[in-house]
Amino acid sequence: MNASFEERSVKITLAGLLVVFGLYFAVAWQMLAAGVTESVVPFLPVFGIAVGLLVFLLVIGHTLAAITDRPADVDERDRMIAWKAENDSSWILGVGVLAAIFGLGTPIGPAWIANGLLATLFLSEVLKRTLQLWYYRKGI
Amino acid sequence: MGHPQSRLRNRIRELRSESGEMSQKALAERIGVSRQTLNAIEGAKYSPSLEVAFRIAESLGVELTDVFQHEPLKARTKRKRG
Repeated sequence: MNASFEERSVKITLAGLLVVFGLYFAVAWQMLAAGVTESVVPFLPVFGIAVGLLVFLLVIGHTLAAITDRPADVDERDRMIAWKAENDSSWILGVGVLAAIFGLGTPIGPAWIANGLLATLFLSEVLKRTLQLWYYRKGI
Repeated sequence: MGHPQSRLRNRIRELRSESGEMSQKALAERIGVSRQTLNAIEGAKYSPSLEVAFRIAESLGVELTDVFQHEPLKARTKRKRG
């Protein structure tokens, strides 16, 4: 069965997230390891570049996908799959928020907390897209 | 929505052929879902909403119960064991 435009959109987004935020966290890890832990300001340009690159890749990816197959409206199965995947993955962000609150009471620097929170958001999004692809293939 | 243990059985593929070899794409367009979603419904990988189920039956010119049959879980288990 050919994948629908929506399913391909999920694949493109997942690939974009993995590539761009994989690079971001590689750079951020080096900065943290080098002792940049007291402020998040040095991370902002890297984060800005990552977001810009992600938007660029998503626009390119979706444009190419639209050339090969006409985008269709999102239907009830797409919405159900997105909702279920969101429901099954959002706990990661919840854990991250609680860990960040806990981290505020420790001597860990704010850059660690901010990047840890961002990492849980990233993992939550990656799990969501992965579950979406799983539900598209295996059914819900 | 579609619990894996209690999926609906359906005769969409059979009814499509009976109504002049209507393609999946044509039926999907009539009922307002993607072809992939109709394929998932036919393959019992997705249980449609009641609204879509009615639209499928109307498009095929039959009653809802002619398209979808619900087989209770106990009956299925018995049949498997038997």
